[in-house]
Amino acid sequence: MSLKSYSRARAIHVMLVYTGGCNGCDIEIVNCIFSPKYDAEQYKVFLTWNPREADILVVTGPVTKHNEKPLIEIYNAIPEPKAVIAAGACALMGGVYKNIHGDIPSEEIAGPVDKIIPVDAKVPGCAVRPEDILSGVVAALPLLLNAK
Amino acid sequence: MTPITSLIAIIGTLIVALLVSVWLPGIERKFVQARIQQRVGPPISSAGIMAPLKFFFKETIKPHSPMPKLYNALPIVSFLSVLFILLIIMPQLYVFAAFTSIIAIVGLLKIEEVIYMFMGSLSKSVMSLKMPFPDIIKGAKHPGTHRSYLEELSSLRAYRLIAFGSFPLYIALFVPVAMSRSIYLSGIVAYQQVHGPILFTLAGVLGAIVFFIGYMILLNEYPFAILKTKADVIEGPLMEYAAKYRAYVYITRGFLMFVLASIFTTLFLGIPPNLFSWTILVTIAVALIFPILMAIMSAFSPIFTYKQFYPTVAGVSVIGILAILASFL
Amino acid sequence: MNEDNKITDKKVIETEITMGTVHSAAIEPYRVRLFVEDEIVRDAEITIGINHRGIERIMEGLPVEKANSLTEKICGICSNSHIWNSVLVAEKAIGIDVPERAQYIRVIMEELERLHSHMLYLAHGSEVLGHETFAMRVFYIRETVMELLRMIGGNRVQYGVSIIGGIRPRCELDEMRIQKIREGMDIIDEKILEFADRFVSDPMIMARVTGVGILSQKQAIELAATGPTLRSTGVELDLRREMEAYDPFEFDIITQDDGDVKSNLLCRVLEIPEATKIIRQALDHLPDGKITNRSWEMQDAPITKSYIEVPRGKLYHSYSLEDGRVRNSIVRTPSITNIGAMQYAAVGHHITDAQLAIVQCDPCFTCTDRAIQIIKI
Repeated sequence: MSLKSYSRARAIHVMLVYTGGCNGCDIEIVNCIFSPKYDAEQYKVFLTWNPREADILVVTGPVTKHNEKPLIEIYNAIPEPKAVIAAGACALMGGVYKNIHGDIPSEEIAGPVDKIIPVDAKVPGCAVRPEDILSGVVAALPLLLNAK
Repeated sequence: MTPITSLIAIIGTLIVALLVSVWLPGIERKFVQARIQQRVGPPISSAGIMAPLKFFFKETIKPHSPMPKLYNALPIVSFLSVLFILLIIMPQLYVFAAFTSIIAIVGLLKIEEVIYMFMGSLSKSVMSLKMPFPDIIKGAKHPGTHRSYLEELSSLRAYRLIAFGSFPLYIALFVPVAMSRSIYLSGIVAYQQVHGPILFTLAGVLGAIVFFIGYMILLNEYPFAILKTKADVIEGPLMEYAAKYRAYVYITRGFLMFVLASIFTTLFLGIPPNLFSWTILVTIAVALIFPILMAIMSAFSPIFTYKQFYPTVAGVSVIGILAILASFL
Repeated sequence: MNEDNKITDKKVIETEITMGTVHSAAIEPYRVRLFVEDEIVRDAEITIGINHRGIERIMEGLPVEKANSLTEKICGICSNSHIWNSVLVAEKAIGIDVPERAQYIRVIMEELERLHSHMLYLAHGSEVLGHETFAMRVFYIRETVMELLRMIGGNRVQYGVSIIGGIRPRCELDEMRIQKIREGMDIIDEKILEFADRFVSDPMIMARVTGVGILSQKQAIELAATGPTLRSTGVELDLRREMEAYDPFEFDIITQDDGDVKSNLLCRVLEIPEATKIIRQALDHLPDGKITNRSWEMQDAPITKSYIEVPRGKLYHSYSLEDGRVRNSIVRTPSITNIGAMQYAAVGHHITDAQLAIVQCDPCFTCTDRAIQIIKI
């Protein structure tokens, strides 16, 4: 393993953007970072709130209309190489909010996430479990390691 | 000592300093904070070595700043000023008497502080005002107000830190001066070789406490991290640094930890950093002890606002003045 | 209005600091504009509605069972409260008797939820205070409750316990589960008291939280603050006293006097032992019998209302039934008035304290953002 991928694998900065889900996924992700039981830092995953520092963007929620532009701005602010993880049913396919009554599209939801920014790893669940978030980060990792 | 050996000593000491300093943030995080927080914690190399290395391999982007080149140059200036401090406290350079005085150290540390102000006013991050959101709409409060970025707030705070926050550190620096009656480092070191380390006097003990608080304030560690509070300014002046410039910021922080510790050994123990002497081990030991103490303090304290910050600084400064008075006894 | 947090009537204030929609202080998307003079907040504007997903409109016309499980998705923290209240509306409208055992298990779930919600508040409060260690300690204690919730409901978040007429069969409490809950309560009681002692005796934390974000009793009542936010100003008002399901249980209403961050924190800390007390009583006197009443028939009903006390205050659900489908659904969550009150509590403090003052009401922006714009014709 080259020094480049070695160093990338040993300091992964994760930024969490929460785009209007129900709080469930969001708290599980914070739980996975802060709770000593899961302690993501032992797997070299650090939480940051600054897009310039981040490598991996974790997006939860179905992306409401108000959150669409901020999400794009934050995505653009992250320097390459970067990866995006969509976590939770809402981020994957809009969840229960996407289509009201069959095929009538919702006026409030701009998502799901992959309509707005490219998604590299998808973590299903309602709400996602902390373990699944960590495995999602691991799934997105090869993309970071093999990037230029 | 020939010039060649001096040169080797200087370069060797610098390399040792860099090698030690990159481990310090990791030690702080892994061995102290993670233990206190009852978790496993990150590997010791992650925070100090791997993170800067990773940032070197990231894409260099143009920061959102009115003067991007100046903004990106600032961490390098900051690093150089810290490097110069380490240079002038080495015994091999005491021949340049005028530069190797306490005044030069104070001046270089001031640069370190002032740079935060520049960083703050030059950074225009996406996280506050640039975020696309319809704020000024019908019914919005105070539509005519001047709107400022989060970093301007931290720039203002950096200004206040210059005004009062660094008092303890500078008072502590002048305790050895008052004891040895010399502002030259050579004089201070020579005094301690005759009379024993200043640390083991009353003035020295008080001075060391004051120095430690000043050390925490200069490093912006909790509880004194008003420059980069997560509760309001997120990361403050450092928000827009990306890729290798962020790596410089990371390295400078670790290096500053080491350099401040070696200032302490020079002034309070009479042991300047010198590779060709066993006393370099003392310097390294102090450089390890200080971050550990700091991490313990920061793990058990919330962030201070001015309401707590002013009395703390005032109280510590009074101790510092007592230390200076005690040094005349 | 008291003198301290009088909002300035000046036309133009020196500077505006804008935070959001993504910010480290409150993880949820919200926008706050703080109008400051020399870092002291003179006025605040909190924008909600960023999370608006129109869930009431989605509920419109859905079969009532589907609509009930949809209300869970309003909030991931107090999901059980939403589904419970929504089910209560239907039960009231149709006139269904709920077996006593089911009532008890619902109360147990609600109190478990109160435990985890209050602990989350403590952790979040510590995080905003800048005290990472305490935040992690609380998350560690909270993990016990999360495990219990997973054991009973099958999911760590959104467990879906209540259904019309009772509770889901998978949430039945057998001996093993009761034993586990008892053990969990012992752990929580012990650890949370230890934590509270540490918290209250820490001089640095007390210096940060005392006298910050004061909301006077008069203001709190005027601004219709609810729940612990209201109780921390000295008003002894808890809807649990009036709820039928809580009749068999003995518990105290915790009140504090000052209305500042310290009172808010203490109010919630002290509610944790009360919640464990209720759970213990429920486990001791858990009646035998069936858990679901299936002998009911769907019928039309006019708009029926229900209020319950949830971790953050007073929750309101109402809808009418038409052919077994939900019509005219309205949900009103406690956070909306609490957040409005916090615009006043934040005034007169340093910016760092203002963020703390906003967080003190345990804001849940997800809960809040369902409001439908009503246009007058």
